[in-house]
Amino acid sequence: MQITSAMKMVSAAKLKKATDAITQMRPYAEKLQEILSNVSSSTKDIEGGVFSKVRPVKKVLIIAITSNRGLCGGFNANVLKGVLSIIKNDYAELNAQGNVEILAIGKKSTDYFKTRGKIAKTNTEIYAELNFNNAAEIAQDVMNDFSEGKYDEVRLVYNQFKNAATQIVQNEKFLPITATKNSDGNASNNDYIFDPNKEEIIINLIPKSLKTQFYKAMLDSQAGEHGARMTAMHKATDNAKAMARDLTLQYNKARQAAITNEILEIVGGAEALNN
Amino acid sequence: MNLDILTPDKKLFEGEAESVTVPGSTGLMQILKGHAALISSLNKGVVKVKTSTGEEIFDIKGGVVEVLNNKVIVLAE
Repeated sequence: MQITSAMKMVSAAKLKKATDAITQMRPYAEKLQEILSNVSSSTKDIEGGVFSKVRPVKKVLIIAITSNRGLCGGFNANVLKGVLSIIKNDYAELNAQGNVEILAIGKKSTDYFKTRGKIAKTNTEIYAELNFNNAAEIAQDVMNDFSEGKYDEVRLVYNQFKNAATQIVQNEKFLPITATKNSDGNASNNDYIFDPNKEEIIINLIPKSLKTQFYKAMLDSQAGEHGARMTAMHKATDNAKAMARDLTLQYNKARQAAITNEILEIVGGAEALNN
Repeated sequence: MNLDILTPDKKLFEGEAESVTVPGSTGLMQILKGHAALISSLNKGVVKVKTSTGEEIFDIKGGVVEVLNNKVIVLAE
């Protein structure tokens, strides 16, 4: 009980930090998206470069983001289940040929897919220090693999943080990117000067936007993990309290029964002596 | 003019600035008050911000800058 409630407190503090990180990066992500759609809305048929190339899907990489530690309810199991259902529903044939690989992030997915799948790479160190640069490195590796044609499609499976009690398993297509059409026309009304030119800016921005997307997934997952653990530990504390209450009651009953028995024996013995 | 310098990890600068010099992909570029609307990608280098109280310098690895209606936003890495 002491342990679980201490763990709950720790998770609550870490959750605060993790949600702060999300809040910090949100303005950046939103602005980046805005600029990207600003630039691409005013150009027709923009080529997103190598990252938007759709090829026949022969080889797939699934990025499974889980935590390093357990004791957080169904948090990790949900992601693992999500990955398995994607494999079963979308890529059953490719999987039979051994063409579905997993990039396992976090110890939990590493352990799970070690015996059940084909692991391309693992990363468990990122949680030691989760910042944009570390996340960007992983994303860059994946992007390189994609542009070299090692994979034809990359999926991202992670827990999205909704609130401390709720995480939603997200399954996003990471690569190739699908062109986002800007529906509101107001952005293109501004006559921007583009330096050096639109195409180059877009080619420059797309990797950034991909890295940001990946970093956001990592942050979401981290916040979700702490939220899930907090909830799980809260429940565990409640359960432990209820159990402690039941046990105390049982103990007291047993003790009372023993005392009553003893008194009966003494009284019985005294009676016998008197007679 | 109003200036924001954002990175994915945190906000580096927010507030009024007299001028800002950024490492544009075609060369150093100084943005003053009343600059025309602009979107430019940035190279590795330093961003120099001049405010009424002094000068601040930030190292960046690359990024993008947007200028619109006297509002400058630098997205840096």
